[in-house]
Amino acid sequence: MTTRPFRPGGVNPALVTPFGKDQSIDEQAYRRLIRHVIADVDGLVPCGTTGEFNYLTPDESRRLIQIAVEECRGKPVIAGTGAAGTRLTIELSRDAQEAGASACLIVTPFFLHPSDKGIYQHFCSVARALPDLPIILYNIPQVVDAVLPRRVVQDLADIPNIVGIKDSSGNLTYTMEILEYAGDRLSVLIGHDEVVLNALAGGASGMILASAQVYPEVWQGVLAAVRRGDLETARSLQLQVQKLSRIFCRYGGGIAVKQALKLMGIEAGYPRSPMKPVGGALLHEDRAEIQLELEKLGKIQTPASAHDFPEGPLAGRFVSVGLDLAAVRDSGSFLGSGREGTGAEAVQVDLLCGPKDGPVGDAWAYQLTYPRHGFEALTTILEPNLTIRPSTLIIPTNELQDLRQANMIYGPVQNAVAQAVVDRLAKGIIPEAAMGSHVIFVLAAVNPQALDRHRLHANAFGATCAAIDQAFAEER
Amino acid sequence: MESKKVDWFRGVFPALVTPFDAHDQIDEACFRELIRFALPHVNGVVPCGTTGEFSSMSLEEKKRLIEICLDEVSGRVPVLAGTGCQSTRETISLTEWAKEAGVSGALVVAPYYLKPTFNEVFDHYAEVDKVGLPIVLYNIPQCAGTHFRWWTAEGMGIAFENVIGMKDSSGDMPFFMAALEKLRGTIGLFCGHDEIAGAALLAGADGVILASANLIPDIWQEIYQAAQRGDAESVRRRQRDIQVLCRIVANKGGPQAVKEGLRMIGLPGMSNARLPLIQGGEFEREDYEDLRTQLENLDKIPIRQVPLGSSGVPYSLPSDLEPPHLSDLTLRVGEGFAGPPFSEVAHIDLLLGSKLGPVGKAIERAQAQARRGHEIALIRQRPMTLLVPTVTVRGAKARRLVYEEAASGVELALKHAIERHNLPEALLDDICLIANVFVHPAASIRQRVKINNYKAMRAAIRKALEERPSLAEMIAEKDAARHPFRYAP
Repeated sequence: MTTRPFRPGGVNPALVTPFGKDQSIDEQAYRRLIRHVIADVDGLVPCGTTGEFNYLTPDESRRLIQIAVEECRGKPVIAGTGAAGTRLTIELSRDAQEAGASACLIVTPFFLHPSDKGIYQHFCSVARALPDLPIILYNIPQVVDAVLPRRVVQDLADIPNIVGIKDSSGNLTYTMEILEYAGDRLSVLIGHDEVVLNALAGGASGMILASAQVYPEVWQGVLAAVRRGDLETARSLQLQVQKLSRIFCRYGGGIAVKQALKLMGIEAGYPRSPMKPVGGALLHEDRAEIQLELEKLGKIQTPASAHDFPEGPLAGRFVSVGLDLAAVRDSGSFLGSGREGTGAEAVQVDLLCGPKDGPVGDAWAYQLTYPRHGFEALTTILEPNLTIRPSTLIIPTNELQDLRQANMIYGPVQNAVAQAVVDRLAKGIIPEAAMGSHVIFVLAAVNPQALDRHRLHANAFGATCAAIDQAFAEER
Repeated sequence: MESKKVDWFRGVFPALVTPFDAHDQIDEACFRELIRFALPHVNGVVPCGTTGEFSSMSLEEKKRLIEICLDEVSGRVPVLAGTGCQSTRETISLTEWAKEAGVSGALVVAPYYLKPTFNEVFDHYAEVDKVGLPIVLYNIPQCAGTHFRWWTAEGMGIAFENVIGMKDSSGDMPFFMAALEKLRGTIGLFCGHDEIAGAALLAGADGVILASANLIPDIWQEIYQAAQRGDAESVRRRQRDIQVLCRIVANKGGPQAVKEGLRMIGLPGMSNARLPLIQGGEFEREDYEDLRTQLENLDKIPIRQVPLGSSGVPYSLPSDLEPPHLSDLTLRVGEGFAGPPFSEVAHIDLLLGSKLGPVGKAIERAQAQARRGHEIALIRQRPMTLLVPTVTVRGAKARRLVYEEAASGVELALKHAIERHNLPEALLDDICLIANVFVHPAASIRQRVKINNYKAMRAAIRKALEERPSLAEMIAEKDAARHPFRYAP
């Protein structure tokens, strides 16, 4: 066997490519991004899938690789040079080699779905054309729509300058099969952020990840822990970033990473068309979720905001929905309040159940014609197409400043209030007749910093039940 | 090639649903009623098919059901009984029993759950063939998990003496075309996929076995007859008329969809499906509303006089629902949610009520106070209808989607609701409506925004007047309900 010049391993970010609003490459932003991550990584991967390589011209690819080489501080640059056709792949790889790349990452040929023989011939031709260039194979069936066949990999591993394989499939049975049949000749790099620990424990020697430009230090921790056999630490680190990793993998890859970097104050620009920065693969709700997770991870500060539970006479708390103390007292309504939980997920519910025919009904209907920004009322549903009755409006007492806070109310709190009302109907605490004759206001006081949906749901359920019990107990 | 086709295996066969009673036992009376409902329009019937939930029934129940079916039909049309089981042994045993009982043939599903290879499937049917009863092969990969290939179908169609037909429910048109190429004239070829049945008949299928033939056996007979006389235009037109219904039945919880549809059109005693299928499950509530609209368009939902004033008013009322209370309309709330796709979903909160009550007062106040970003729009005078965007409207694209597309969907829903007796004409001068509409900021496809708002509004109007969901529905789903935003991604 010939000596192998380069063995890939360690933590390598698949760099995003920052584009300006005019779709041109923002080189300065790209350099700043590299400078931000370089200390915590073992190599750089420009022009990968995360870098939207398929939207780049050959000149742009070469330029991005050049800049990575300039900024890499002696660490290896693994350049993405894959293309749908063999000829272009060879050209891009030659460019990368000339630009100073240490190795090339070459994706399984896509779109026309060549046969196994064609796939073998593709990689073999590239390797033979550039015998001094270390080559890393790249399996990513999510976008290629075909798996790089294990039997092909097994044979390609005999070619001296094919030195590794990146597996982004997340299919661990495939990863293990590659380790079994080619692990002696190829370095296996995990490319799926959700199963890094698992792959490393199985024998992978490193990783190329989109999230390695967001939290490289976490992945260094996982790698070091696995190497010293400390699985307990590795597990806890992996789980700490599990949800963010899942969002990156499943909701838009590079697009989601760009949003995360932006939230962290690192300008990473826009994606190229037809991908949208938000509203396509990554929805507004998902972006709010990224922010929430970055807060949990300590990457960004949770915005401080004052939070007090409403106090004073219960009947006086409904002024915000247009019912003053006298109106509430004269309306013949049932009133109750409940609070449950401690810390950021504590919830207080002030509840008013009053007759439709009268000021309570008037105020209720008016809320739905005149939404107040940040305090939008919403009707309460168990799930879409399954509203509850008595018809119930939830109104937040703290202004909702972003989608994350809104999500907490529209998700766990709404579901919990619906379940509590139906539970109390089923138990006969709320009389069945009220379903037709009454409406309910729920003023939901939720800490803007609440993060844990599960606890929030449990507390909102408890607080609503308590409020209902109080409201209807007094009457009997 | 020698033909094994039999005369009786052609035309329209409904895959009969199985009604259960309050104790979850077979509801014989209701089953007989269903057969009597379908019989005038069909060429045969299939008890114990997939739509009949054969996989949720015991061996004894299946035998009982087949017996009732034979008795009720009493020789007027052939009975093709589902006798396929997971194992060869059980399949043979039930098929032998069915032969003794006097069925015309057995519909034998590919052995399922453990996924046998093609040659194992072949040998399975070879054994069942020896029973001596006419056998119809049954390909339904959506449920069985195994898909015949054309060479399997061809091999079995030719090799087995008693195989007289094949039913293909895959919806895989290239497969069905290959089967026609290899086997047409040798065995009877039936299509079992409602969405493409018209196309399959035109391509040369001998008949159809369909879940939707429980609901609209007459229309399927019409389509079959048109195909037989080569009237392609009529086949296309009628298939198009029922396409929404077919899509729902074929994809959204078949048995439950058919059963709820039957309750709507005239079998109020029809049960729900057996667990693990549930109401509001795979057949979602939004599908209920869609199916109801489609059945209304086909004039299948009874129009009844419901109490209002001195003489009552006509109302399109599913046979299992109580007449709505229309005399006290102080404030009614109805909700409607419709998709797909996700980014174009519509979610409407509808307030409906007397002009003199909370809704009327709210409209009056709101009109005096309109603000930027939440501009309200009066989109109709009779009934007076106010459109209110749920979230702040930003940008020209969002404005267009809310005030043009969503608004026109809501408007059209009102028009159809009035025309189709979902919203009685007699109420229009006295009531007013507030429609809170939600358009997702990522929405792009204008046509879907309009149609989804149309569907959501139709549902919201019905639910407001009929005071749905009921207490029982809410309690049944309190814990099983899946709120989409409750969980982390």
